[in-house]
Parts: sequence; C-alpha cells; structure tokens
Amino acid sequence: MSTLAADTIVTGYGKQEIVHGVSLAAEAGKITCIFGPNGCGKSTLLKAIAGALPVWGGAARLDDTVLSNLPVHEVVRQGLVLMPQGGGVFPRLTVMENLRMGGYAIADKRLVEARIEALIEQYPSLARRRRTLAGALSGGEQAMLSLARALVSEPRFILLDEPSAGLSPAMVLETLERITTLTRQGIGILMVEQNIREAMPIADRLYILAAGEKRFEGSPADVRDDRQIMDIYMGGA
Amino acid sequence: MDLFLQTLLNGLLIGGVIATFTIAFQLTFGVLHVIDFAVGGWVVLGGYLGYYVTALLGLDGFAAIPLAFVLFGALGYLIGPVLYNVRNSRTARPELMALALTFGLFTLLRGGMLTAWGFNTRNVTTFLSGESLAVGPVIVPLIRVAAAVFAAAIAGGLFLFLYRTRYGLAIRATAENCHNAALMGVNIRRLSANVYGLYAGITAMAGVLMGAIYSVNPEVGLRYTLFAFFVAVLAGLGSVGGAVAAALMLGVIEAFVSTYVGSSYSLLAIFATLFVVLLVSPKGILRRGL
Ligand SMILES: Nc1ncnc2c1ncn2[C@@H]1O[C@H](COP(=O)(O)OP(=O)(O)O)[C@@H](O)[C@H]1O
Ligand SMILES: [Mg+2]
Repeated sequence: MSTLAADTIVTGYGKQEIVHGVSLAAEAGKITCIFGPNGCGKSTLLKAIAGALPVWGGAARLDDTVLSNLPVHEVVRQGLVLMPQGGGVFPRLTVMENLRMGGYAIADKRLVEARIEALIEQYPSLARRRRTLAGALSGGEQAMLSLARALVSEPRFILLDEPSAGLSPAMVLETLERITTLTRQGIGILMVEQNIREAMPIADRLYILAAGEKRFEGSPADVRDDRQIMDIYMGGA
Repeated sequence: MDLFLQTLLNGLLIGGVIATFTIAFQLTFGVLHVIDFAVGGWVVLGGYLGYYVTALLGLDGFAAIPLAFVLFGALGYLIGPVLYNVRNSRTARPELMALALTFGLFTLLRGGMLTAWGFNTRNVTTFLSGESLAVGPVIVPLIRVAAAVFAAAIAGGLFLFLYRTRYGLAIRATAENCHNAALMGVNIRRLSANVYGLYAGITAMAGVLMGAIYSVNPEVGLRYTLFAFFVAVLAGLGSVGGAVAAALMLGVIEAFVSTYVGSSYSLLAIFATLFVVLLVSPKGILRRGL
C-alpha cells in the first residue's frame, strides 16, 4: 500500500512564510480532504508537495522517494500529478493536445495514444470535441478534461485543488462521483475542497488548515462529533 | 503599374524572409518571456558566415544556411540557460535584467564584429546572384525568389515541428503556461535552452538570406532588431500567427517607401506605422495565439 506523506512542510512566496510546518498523510485508494478558509495556504501546500514550489523545511515523500529533492518535472514521473486550482488546462491547445500533454512524461508515444483512447470513452463530452480548443469548452467540460488529463500518466496519487469549484450542482456531484471511482482503481486522492457538504461524505480522512497551520485531523465522523470545529470551520455543514 | 507590381512582389518576398526570424523571435518571447535585443546580431552573424563560406571556403553562399543553423543554434543553446537564469532570478525586476542582458549581448556581438571584421560591407554570393526572372512585365531578382522559398521552407519546417511533434506540443504548452507544463513533466529550463538555440539558428539562417539579398556590415543589426520589434508590436508580443502577416506588411511598406519615396525614409515610415498602431490599438492589431 502506497503512502504519500508530507512531513512538517514549511513554505511560502518570496520572504513570506505561508505554510508553517504542516504534516499529513494520504493512503492509496483513499480520499483525503483538506478544508480550510480562503487564503489559509491549502493551494500553497499542495504546490509544495508536488514540487511546484520549493519547500523551505520538511519534505514530501511518496513511499521511500523524497519528492522534495526532485525538480517539479520529475515528480510526475514518480506517479504523482497535481491538478492545479482552476484545472490548469491549456486553453489554446485542443482537447487531444491537452490529453497528450498529460502523457508527456511517458516515453512510449503509442502507449499514450492507447491510454487516451481508453480514457476518452469514459468522457463522452470530450470524445465529441477532440479537436476543439480547450478554452472553448464549458466550465464542466474543462473540469472533466483536466481530470482525464491527470489520469493519462496513470498516477498513483492525484492532488486535486478544488476540482468542483465553479461547477453547477449537478457537475459537482458528477465530478466527485468520478473521483470516488478512481479510488476503486487504487489511486490515492489528496483533495482541497470548498464544497464541504458534498465532499465530506466521500472523504476517508480529513485535515483542517487555518492560517497555514493544521487545526484538525481525523475521520469525517470525528469532525461531526466536534461541535467547536463544526461551528468554526464547517459553517455547521 | 509594372513598377507597382514589382515593388509589391519584392516587398512580399523580403517580408517572407523577415517572417522566419520574427516567428522565432515571437516563440522565444512566448517561452522565455525575454525580448531579445540581440536578434539583429544573430542576423548579421548569419550574413558574415555566408560571406566567409564563399570567401574562404569557395562554397556557394547557400551552403552557409545549414551551417548557420548548426553553429549559431549551438551558441544559442549555450546562452539560453544564462538567459533563463537571469529571467527567473529573484532580483527585483528580472524582466528588465534579462532585457539588459540581451542588450549587452547585442552590443558585444556588434563590437566584436566591428573589431574583427571592421566596417566593411560584405555580400553573400550565390549561384543566383545577379540573375533575374521576367514574369510578364515584372522582373524579379532570382535571389529574392530563392530566399523566399528557403524562408517558406524554414517557416514551414518550424510549424510542422511545433504542430506535429511531441516536443513541439510541449513548446506550445510551455508558451501558454510554463507552470502547468512543468507539472506535466516538461523540463522548462532545458526546453528554454532548446528554444533559444532554435531561434538563434533560424535567425542566423535568415541572416544568410538577407546577406545574399542586400549586404551585411556590423551596423545593420540594429535595423533587424527594429524589424523584429516592429513585428512584435504589430502582431502582439508572443503571437506567432500574427508575426507572418506583420512581417509581410513590413516588407511591403519598406519596399514601397524605398521605391517611391527613397530608401532613407523607410525606417521613418516603419516608425510612423508603429506609432499609429500603438495609438489605435496598444495591444497590436493582429493579435492571435501561438
Ligand atoms: N504566487 C503567490 N505569490 C505571493 N503570495 C501568494 C501567491 N499565491 C498565494 N499567495 C498568498 O498565500 C496565501 C495562501 O494562498 P493559497 O495557498 O492560494 O490559499 P488557499 O488555497 O488556501 O485559498 C494567501 O495569503 C495568498 O495571498
Ligand atoms: Mg486555493
């Protein structure tokens, strides 16, 4: 069983420290959620784990591999993909080109094409728009595209930064449903979410961050039992 | 009427050659976010290579084209990481530092060439030099036709590379968003070096062609840098599609002003056009994505 672990991560931008030593762990085949108020450092933490932002202290590990020693473009080759906030699709590349970028780290071009064909069948809205520029897709379709793109490299862990943000209620449910399906293939999910009400039921474990520090960790049941946490951070959800 | 057609054709042919290096210039801006002041320096280096290939080796000037790509491509590849480091350094204004660096590179190239070769104007001679072709009433110098054909081949090759290969896709993705491209596994630093090398190589090849059409001396570099800036402003910085149209337009403006007004006014006309375009539409008039 694979584990993705962040060990007292300290990071920030310029001279400004944003994340002050946060530890967490995510298991393969499980959904681990990070909640917390706006601007508390959730995206910053995810970027640091994925190597997109240098860590100032601590380290992220995938099993025995220290990710924090690797340049960002090597992290995906270790089996970890970050889907950044907003999805991070390339608007001026087509749907197919975006998916191919998802498989860029894989040397075998034919393998990539085969995987894309297998994947795209599960996303009918994308299959119909292969040559459409990603920027011309609806918000929901772009969300599907970024999710599908993250899967092309067949990662062991996917970090998702607010995958359901800005989507219609129906699309929020579809997105979270698809994410749940991924765990059945053994993929580990570490996810930042604002739609707490919808994300809570699918979470196996959750962390609450505030002002760059960990304020809570436990199972969803633990949170529900904690009146204070519920009132302060979950808006009574 | 004949003169009009002749001028138009000449302008378009020259514009095609200008397009090759301005496309590469735009690509470099897209990937490295650096406005390369040294662009004219690479053009002149290519021109001199063309001259020396004929003068010293006794080869046809066209033989310098592949040589220019390899030689100056390699040099660009070595300079690329330096530029990348400066552009991504933690100084207060890295974009200005990078511009200063390319300005320095330009000055160094120009000064070096003046010292080494003096202020002698050189020509690149090819087997087509002096030949011309009569198409009805219009007479076109064959060298211009050949240069435009080479230019089209170079630009076509570049577009094929960008749109038909995996690495080309990675370059386009990086030009769009380098952070997301890095997350997909693209080594941005190495890609930047490759793109700068590609750009320097292509620009030097265009320089060989320019040297065959006109002539070179160390001072003409500034003119080509201004051409690239003109195209970048007209097309919108970083836009590759618009660069072709803008370069053709530049070639035509330059040809008409030289023919009907006088060649000493052509830079003036180019600046006047720039000025009007910036007044009317500060983002450029041909803005289109990569
Ligand atoms: N690129 C950046 N440069 C400087 N500061 C940033 C940058 N991105 C985010 N921040 C700051 O870091 C803090 C945490 O941001 P972020 O991690 O995006 O919060 P969250 O994802 O929890 O909403 C905020 O105060 C934000 O202003
Ligand atoms: Mg965020």
